[in-house]
Amino acid sequence: MRALEYAPSPLRPRLLEATPLPALVALAAGWGLAALTLPAPAARGIGLAAAHGGLLGTALAWTAADGARERWAPLEAALVLGVATLFAHLVPGGVVAYAAVPSWLVWRRADWRRGGAEHARAMLAGALFGLLLGLHLLVNASLTLGFHVRPGRPADLLAWLAYDLGANVLAAEAFFRAGLFARAHRRWPFAAAAAVSTAASVTRYLLDPLLPHTPEILAGAAFYLALLGVGNCWLLARHGSLAGPVAAGLLFFAAYRLLAR
Amino acid sequence: MALAIALTLAGITALIAVSEAGVASLWRHAYHVPVVLAALRWGSGGALAALAAILLYTPFVLPALERAGPSRAVLEALVTLALLLGVGVSSGALAAGGRRQRARYEALVAIQRAVDGDAPLDIVLVRLRACLEARLGGLVGLAVRDGDRLALAGAAALAPGSPVAQVLGSGAPLYVSDLGGGVRPRRCFVAPLAGRGGITGALALERPGDIGADERRALLALATHLGLALENARLAARQRRFAEELAEKVTAATRHIVEMDRMKSDFVAIASHELRTPLTALQGFSELLATRRFAPSDLARVGAIMHAETERLGRIVADFLDLARLERGLAPPLRRTRVDAGVVVSEAVEVLRRARTTHALELFCDAPLPPVDADPDALDRVVKNLVGNAVKYSPAGSRVRVAARPHAASPAVEITVEDEGPGIAEADLTRVFEPYYRTPGGARVAAGAGLGLAVVKSLVDAHGGTIRAENVAPHGTRMTLILPALS
Repeated sequence: MRALEYAPSPLRPRLLEATPLPALVALAAGWGLAALTLPAPAARGIGLAAAHGGLLGTALAWTAADGARERWAPLEAALVLGVATLFAHLVPGGVVAYAAVPSWLVWRRADWRRGGAEHARAMLAGALFGLLLGLHLLVNASLTLGFHVRPGRPADLLAWLAYDLGANVLAAEAFFRAGLFARAHRRWPFAAAAAVSTAASVTRYLLDPLLPHTPEILAGAAFYLALLGVGNCWLLARHGSLAGPVAAGLLFFAAYRLLAR
Repeated sequence: MALAIALTLAGITALIAVSEAGVASLWRHAYHVPVVLAALRWGSGGALAALAAILLYTPFVLPALERAGPSRAVLEALVTLALLLGVGVSSGALAAGGRRQRARYEALVAIQRAVDGDAPLDIVLVRLRACLEARLGGLVGLAVRDGDRLALAGAAALAPGSPVAQVLGSGAPLYVSDLGGGVRPRRCFVAPLAGRGGITGALALERPGDIGADERRALLALATHLGLALENARLAARQRRFAEELAEKVTAATRHIVEMDRMKSDFVAIASHELRTPLTALQGFSELLATRRFAPSDLARVGAIMHAETERLGRIVADFLDLARLERGLAPPLRRTRVDAGVVVSEAVEVLRRARTTHALELFCDAPLPPVDADPDALDRVVKNLVGNAVKYSPAGSRVRVAARPHAASPAVEITVEDEGPGIAEADLTRVFEPYYRTPGGARVAAGAGLGLAVVKSLVDAHGGTIRAENVAPHGTRMTLILPALS
């Protein structure tokens, strides 16, 4: 029992300790420069890569044993994501390039999962949660707001799925759950840590330029993303693996991609 | 239970869906049933069930709100949603609180049961740890001061600087939000166990989940109770041990008194007999002297007999006097001088050899022996008593060996008297030196008051010597007497 056998480490990291600020500032500067100098589609692509790369790299730096060694991780992540985005837009079937992001994380030894049966249980519970929330979204949105379910072209759906897996969901869950929530939970009760993490993730999505900014959409997004955030925090706290939140996010966003006006 | 609640929620949703009233269907109130059931069953599960009910009901509410605006039916539906959330959260909190309270009471009873009995502290702590872990839902560790040592349950040793060590040092409760060493944060709360004499130990609870402020307060109260229960158990155990020791001592003393009483009764009977024999002889011969006339040769013979009996009477009375001094804790009076033990032993054996013709008395005396500081009369009495006993308790015709030699291990003289009698039972070897004690076999073989060896031992002790009895092969007894030599 650790309370008897070990002295707890007197140095507990502060909430924002080991944040790779120089890399984030460089990313923001690059994004700003691109927005000023490049055409809109290219600037948007660079912006996406910078935002998701910033989240992923920061999560990597926060969760690494030695955060100082990961101070340029956001730039690396943004580079990988930028290349993947470039491939996805320029090469037919190039969306598979988003698989490079999880591969890069494995190569960087990001340990956000537990092995064995617990990992599988986390993934199953996350998939079930994401599926139920996604189905609810489909039913609710199809009854209101004039949305309806329209599967669309499989290639487009696959592209979105690849984007969610490689960039959107992975970056969000890595930063808001494995990074922010896990850090907050080490010092605060679950409710407080989940509130901080969920509020941050909802804000991130509400600021996302890809989300239509109408009041009803924003209200619905806040509602579902809050549920998704709290649920994912619980999954991570329960199972200790990021596989559950990633599975839940993937299935929820897959349902979201099926909606059309 | 979870499946039944899920099916009930789904069934109510289906009933609302097929109802003509739609969002205003009275079936919406039925959502409260599974929500309350879930709260009663799982506590915080009530909030989850309420959330599920809200999610199931909102697809009816939102389209109605979009279609008709905030109508009466929609407002009622919104109130229903709010009520569901309130009922789920509050009933869940109440149920969880009630369950925690019950767990605390059960823990108190379990603590009483665990500390009850005569088990050693380490076993009690293991029991306590098992029953507390089952009720507190986490790993439990206990450290209790037991004199100079620290009894632990939950670890083999206490690490310096660990939360429990900190609490034992400071006496203040400690909450650690993360002990580290895992993917998930491990909370830990350590409460001091307080006794009448200060901090007697610590109770630690460790788990991956939260330990809220309410639970920490409850743990503090539990630790206070546990500390007092352990102290009470320790005091009760000490009292029990004391009472048992006292009872054992009283029993032993009573047994000793009863035996002493029996031995004294035996002694009175034997002493009366012992005294009567020479008295009868003296009485008879004195009457003869008073009533008859004797030839001078007969007069000498009668006088010799009367003298012998008087000496015998004198020895018996001397034994009684020595015993009386012995029982008062006084050493027999000695006139100590520089004595050659070999001479005393030789003379005593010679006298006895002339008087006792039934046994072959053999004397082995090394010369020269170191001189001893002893009362020659007392030493003579000791040797004659030992040799007399050897003759008395061994068959006629057997040999009695008396030896005197320098002691091998120390500057002393060792005198041994060895017979070929039946020996002494092992249990009686040490008891033969007790006053009045007679071995069962010895009492049948020869008469006696059971005083001889007690007096011998008191005389030897008074000389600063030792005496012991042992059996020799194939049969027989050896008395070994060691007297310190003059330096």
